[in-house]
Amino acid sequence: MTAHIRPVCAVWVGMVCLVFCSRLSGMKAASICGNAQAECHFLSLANLFDRVIQHSARMHGISNDLHSEFELYFLPSKNQVSRVGRNCHTSNILTPNGKENAQRIEREELTEVIMKLLAAWRDPLWHFHQSVARNHRFNGYGSNKSLEMSDMAHELRKGVQKVVEKMQTLGVISNSVGGLASPEALLAADGSGWRFMKDSDLLYCFRRDSNKIQNYLKILKCRIVPEHGC
Amino acid sequence: MKKAEGVIILWWLLFFTLHAEGTSYSLPGKPTLTNCRSPEKETFTCWWEPGSDGGLPTTYHLYYRKESSDAVHECPDYRTAGKNSCFFNKNDTSIWINYNITVVATNARGSTFSDPVEIDVVYIVKPNPPEKVTANVSWNKSWPSLRVSWDPPQKADTRSGWITLIYELRIKLEGEDKWEEHPAGQQKMYNIYSLQSGGTYLVQVRCRPDHGFWSEWSDSTYFKVPDYFPQERSIWIIIMIFSVFIFLILIWAIHMNSHTLKHHILPPVPGPKIKGFDKQLLKSGKSRDAFSSLVGSDFPPTTTNYEDLLVEYLEVYIPEEQGLMLEEGKDLHDGSLKSKSYTSDSDSGRGSCDSHALLVDKSEEEKEVGQKSNQQGGRTEMDLKRPEESPEENILNYSHANVGSPDVSCEKVKTWPSLFSPLTENSSGPLDQPDSPEMAKQHCLSDSLFPPSPLSSPFAPPGHKEVLGSNYQEYSFGNLHPQTGSHQYLRAHGNMNVANIGHKGVPADLQLPPVRSTEYVEVQKVNNENMVLLYRVSSDVEKGCPGRRHTEEYSRLKGVNNDNGLLLLQRMVSEEEMNICPYEDQESSGLTDSGYTTSTAQKSTAYIPPATQVLDERVAGGYVDTSMFTLPIY
Repeated sequence: MTAHIRPVCAVWVGMVCLVFCSRLSGMKAASICGNAQAECHFLSLANLFDRVIQHSARMHGISNDLHSEFELYFLPSKNQVSRVGRNCHTSNILTPNGKENAQRIEREELTEVIMKLLAAWRDPLWHFHQSVARNHRFNGYGSNKSLEMSDMAHELRKGVQKVVEKMQTLGVISNSVGGLASPEALLAADGSGWRFMKDSDLLYCFRRDSNKIQNYLKILKCRIVPEHGC
Repeated sequence: MKKAEGVIILWWLLFFTLHAEGTSYSLPGKPTLTNCRSPEKETFTCWWEPGSDGGLPTTYHLYYRKESSDAVHECPDYRTAGKNSCFFNKNDTSIWINYNITVVATNARGSTFSDPVEIDVVYIVKPNPPEKVTANVSWNKSWPSLRVSWDPPQKADTRSGWITLIYELRIKLEGEDKWEEHPAGQQKMYNIYSLQSGGTYLVQVRCRPDHGFWSEWSDSTYFKVPDYFPQERSIWIIIMIFSVFIFLILIWAIHMNSHTLKHHILPPVPGPKIKGFDKQLLKSGKSRDAFSSLVGSDFPPTTTNYEDLLVEYLEVYIPEEQGLMLEEGKDLHDGSLKSKSYTSDSDSGRGSCDSHALLVDKSEEEKEVGQKSNQQGGRTEMDLKRPEESPEENILNYSHANVGSPDVSCEKVKTWPSLFSPLTENSSGPLDQPDSPEMAKQHCLSDSLFPPSPLSSPFAPPGHKEVLGSNYQEYSFGNLHPQTGSHQYLRAHGNMNVANIGHKGVPADLQLPPVRSTEYVEVQKVNNENMVLLYRVSSDVEKGCPGRRHTEEYSRLKGVNNDNGLLLLQRMVSEEEMNICPYEDQESSGLTDSGYTTSTAQKSTAYIPPATQVLDERVAGGYVDTSMFTLPIY
């Protein structure tokens, strides 16, 4: 009797461990389903995309609010001419400016553009927040918003990073897509043109760029996982 | 003259200059860009408002400049969008780029520039209304629900994710003014549940991009909600008919049994039933006849035979100066004292016992008692008080005349004088002097002419009175009832002197001693031979016959008969005592002499009838009249 018990116990323990581990791994992928593995992965990618898109939408909303508030209180004079001379520091990043262009571009390139944009705004946003906090330009509301905006940009970067990794693991996009450490990203981040921007221009530029990011993410999602809400 | 001419010339000049203004050519007025809109974020259109044309044909041109470029371009398409518009097609449209647009109005005289407008196409998107709005009514458990579905505007490319649209719909009943709006998010269909059956509704849908303007409302889609299924109504009709049917049956059943139901629900109140009383006679108005049955034929007594009339009374009356009081144990509950006062006396204070006749006839009483008792014969009964009465109560009873209760005072006693209720040893209740005549108890033993009814004493005097010249032989029985424990005395009064009012044949020379105290005979003990040894109890109040007080008088208990009756032997009064208390002697002699006819065999046996139930109870509780004793009941 005892001779049987030990191997049985070992097998049982092994099975329990297997189940446990598989569960854990499944949870990493945030799997909702339990059926076919391929469907599961795509579904989880769509879920990731949705979350990222929501995040970017929220970020854009904040930037929109800040911008309108800034214009309302700090630019009463409608000096529209000066705007034309505005030059965002991210203008060197080639971004598709139309639907055809955006649909023509490769998904990897699109992903890269997103990544570059997000990378380019990390420092300026933090700087902007510091400036606002220091100079007491805005009221408390504005200061909180700027901090939130900065944090969200940061988180969005991480989220997009995860999506990229997911896509790469799934083989949706090639591994040529550079991460945060890619040279393009570094180049963009090094650009110090943003330091000389005025706060109003900075807000204006970021509002636009956040819109771009959101739109690009949507396009990417509907290109990769079109069956879920496109 | 010159002046007049100058004025005229001036006037002419003025006139012409004024006229000339209307027709002069000038620069065109300043045009204004009203708005620019993009329906799908791929093309956009700008409209402007022209100013005055300055009297000359004016042309308008739109120029724009893109951000970060100094090249000025002119509007590619002035026609597509209508007059005073500029349409930018896809090739010319760039998103996320600022456009600086200016309209220039030009005529022969010159050009006028409008104010520049900067736009970014992303923020001027106003899509077309949604298309193909359909409304489907469906039934969900007899409740109508509406499903509205639509398509996004054709030009807006939502499939590629280029534009994200948010929808909103509104609905209203036909003829109403107020719309009911429902935000629908990004979904392309919507369910509505709050619908009226049989109503016609209008529904409209509109959309907007996440950062843009709302579209116009789509064209109204009409739909009608059909009425509920007739099945439901038919079911209700069947139910109604059924219930009506049942209701009718119920009504009929109730009607059939209305009488019994009435009896059940409202039981008839039993009317008063007076024996011999005929309601109908009363109703008919013949009151005389109706009451005739109530009125005893032999009442008022027509006979002059007082012996027949009178119930054997023991009436005790003590005038105020006299202190003798016959106290009588009161037995309210039990009609043991049944003394019916003599008829005609009806004053409440004193009762029938108190009457002149009584006083006068007191001398006759003693003699008559026995006769009366005799006559009463079978009717007599001795009612003994219950021993349950507490001694205290009895004391009270003795000392306080029960003025207010006619029942007690002269209750009808058949022939027997009532037994005193037992008194405690320390009480000298029966012998207490009453404070007032009201306090005195009137003890009336009356022989009833009426059918024996325990408590009926319509003529009972309310008050008690002391027995005048009561010549009692008091028999007190020890409480044979072992339970009570206290040595209770049963005081028996032979109220011989009281008994009969108006009794004839009373010797005139019999004078009642003014004060007579009640005398008690106390039961000493019960010996083995079932004899109750009695001895006279001394009384404080007794004024007459002191000698008598000291003697002990016994009534020997002869025995207990079969019916649990006590047989007492009449004590023979000694001569000595008779001398002292002549009245009493006479009384007692009267007792002896009087025809205890039926008791010839026994000298004098006091027979306590079994009707008094338990002997013990009764014996302790009331008077035992010696005369009663000597009379056999049956």
